[in-house]
Amino acid sequence: MRRVVLVLCVALLALPASAATPQTIKLGAVVPLTGRYAAGGAQVRAGYEIAVEDINAAGGVQVGGGRVRLELQLLDDESDPTKTVSRLEALAQEGATVYLGGFGSDLHAAAAAVAEKNRTPYCGVAFALHAVHTRGFRYLFSPFPKSPDLTIETYRFLNGSIPADQRPRRVAIFQERTDWGREMGDIWTARSAENGYEVVLRADYAPLSRDLSDIILRAKAAGAEAVFSLPTPPDGITLVRQMKELDYNPKFIMMIRAADAATWPQALGRDGDDVVLSPGWHHSIRFPGVAELNAKHQQRFGRPADVITGPSYACVQIVANAISRAGSADRTAIRDALATTNMQTVVGPVRFRPDGTGMVTTMFVQWQSGRQVLVWPRNMGGTTLRYPATPWRSR
Amino acid sequence: MRGAAAAALALGLLAAVPVLTGRSAVLNWLFLVLLHAGIAQSWNLLAGFGGQVNLGHAAFFGLGAVVARILWLDGAAVPWALFAGVAAAGAAGLLIGAPSLRLRGAYFAIGTLALAEILRITFANAMPEVSALSAAQLGDYALAPRYYLALLLAAGTTTVAWGFSASRFGLGLAAIREDEDVAAAIGIPTFRQKLLALLASTVFAGLAGGVFAYYHLSFYPSFAFSPIWTFDALIITFLGGVGTVWGPVVGAAFFILVREALALRLAELHLLIFGVLFVLVVVAFPGGLMQAGAALGRRLGAPARPAQRPQQG
Repeated sequence: MRRVVLVLCVALLALPASAATPQTIKLGAVVPLTGRYAAGGAQVRAGYEIAVEDINAAGGVQVGGGRVRLELQLLDDESDPTKTVSRLEALAQEGATVYLGGFGSDLHAAAAAVAEKNRTPYCGVAFALHAVHTRGFRYLFSPFPKSPDLTIETYRFLNGSIPADQRPRRVAIFQERTDWGREMGDIWTARSAENGYEVVLRADYAPLSRDLSDIILRAKAAGAEAVFSLPTPPDGITLVRQMKELDYNPKFIMMIRAADAATWPQALGRDGDDVVLSPGWHHSIRFPGVAELNAKHQQRFGRPADVITGPSYACVQIVANAISRAGSADRTAIRDALATTNMQTVVGPVRFRPDGTGMVTTMFVQWQSGRQVLVWPRNMGGTTLRYPATPWRSR
Repeated sequence: MRGAAAAALALGLLAAVPVLTGRSAVLNWLFLVLLHAGIAQSWNLLAGFGGQVNLGHAAFFGLGAVVARILWLDGAAVPWALFAGVAAAGAAGLLIGAPSLRLRGAYFAIGTLALAEILRITFANAMPEVSALSAAQLGDYALAPRYYLALLLAAGTTTVAWGFSASRFGLGLAAIREDEDVAAAIGIPTFRQKLLALLASTVFAGLAGGVFAYYHLSFYPSFAFSPIWTFDALIITFLGGVGTVWGPVVGAAFFILVREALALRLAELHLLIFGVLFVLVVVAFPGGLMQAGAALGRRLGAPARPAQRPQQG
């Protein structure tokens, strides 16, 4: 009997101690591992897993006087926003202190709202839709280039890479009929004149169209020298094939998103070359920690880190840093620490604006001889932009 | 009588859940069970009892959801927003049913499937913006009222299903399901009966859509027209027992709770395991979990009750 009482006393004494400094801090991630975003979700997962391993291998996160290990609990939402919501709620039940996001703006929009409702800090990458950040959310943080960064940097990149007398001044925007398409088209148009460009055509189309010849012929007739677009992979492939068939040879072709896919050259062969994309990150960028991340990714998957793996890795770095500065597992304290982030990560220096968007480096990549190479920013490990694009018949 | 007492007890227990637990994950799961029970039961009203396979249930769910969402976010009172959604879904049901229910065979199924896809694509083009609640709206968000609405939806649809199973109207529907020519020959107004069943089915689908719109924090309008809503309803009904009163309710509980429990423990394999479980249930018990329950009851020596014949095709 006395032994039982003794054990109970020890247990009671141990309780407050464990409540004050947790042994682990749980990061709850809901990521699409199946469904339409599965390929992107796999990249996000790799970034989170490698980052948590690295931080724990170094002893964990410094919290107050001790070190605390991070615990990642990752669930699949099947690319369905209703399941994103229910699984984030389940993670809250399981004691998640911070949420990590998945892939795609619709899933992020749902997830960020759950985070806001539950007052749990949320870090998410792999969505460029700025509208999610305009709802007054305080718990949403995204160290990833958004539409305003992508569009404005497009002009900076062109002006920084091409001599003034050779620039493709007449621009056609092929705008997908989605919220992101509209958002990008609006800013590309609004910021064109001040950068020395003229939008001669702004044509919208429904996603997953089989025939885009109408908008291509209109761009050709308008004499557009550059094409800005953000198609899905099937639409991007259709655009390139039909531009070739109609012999429309713009000097500069930007296809954000479609050309991200590793299968791009398999689908298009040499016709896929010279197309420019902005995937959010590239493994050859010279920032601290990138070489180590590439080595680990190479060991695990047989290739350097994928374009979304870098930003996902950075998310965990940023969250760990905020937990450390907050000095506790208190969600509001971590949220406040995230808001004042100012650190170096694998995506470069990161700070956050009041709307939760990250002030991060926007990168541009070009397909050259069947490989994705970094072409912007300059002096950061990239090569020269291949310009003008080779005419289809000479390929 | 015993069944009614058990149903009342279950209803009472479910109504007490928000008072008993503040755990939002539990309430969220139960909300999803009730919502899916409502959608599946509304599909069952027409397909299970009347034999008319609607492959475009998402069209009516989506109309209810989008109309209710727009009005609610515009400041309309929730009951009015829900009512407008229900009216839109019911009107669409009558519009599509009036011509296609005169036809036989696969035409009704094809017509409804096409309607849902047309609406999905149209709404994706016309309303491409994500519909999300603002930070201020999220501050006032409470799950309990959504939960009670879903409970009302599930209870309402199940009461109507019970009415179908125990009425002259329901017997007429069953006759149409088994052989429409014979049903017409014995004096059942087949077209009118089918249209009324479709109206009941679409009205409840619209209400389910409205409850979803009031519940969800953020979704694209076209998502409410996704085929997922049709096929979840279909799978749940077959899982529970098509053409039975309690099948969709039991099916929804199994479908949501097992799926969520597996998803919480197995990051990737959950879909595979859930799929195998689903196939096993359907192969072993073509009459669904209700048949499995009846078989178990017989094993345990309960008085045998005539099992309802599972709907074929």
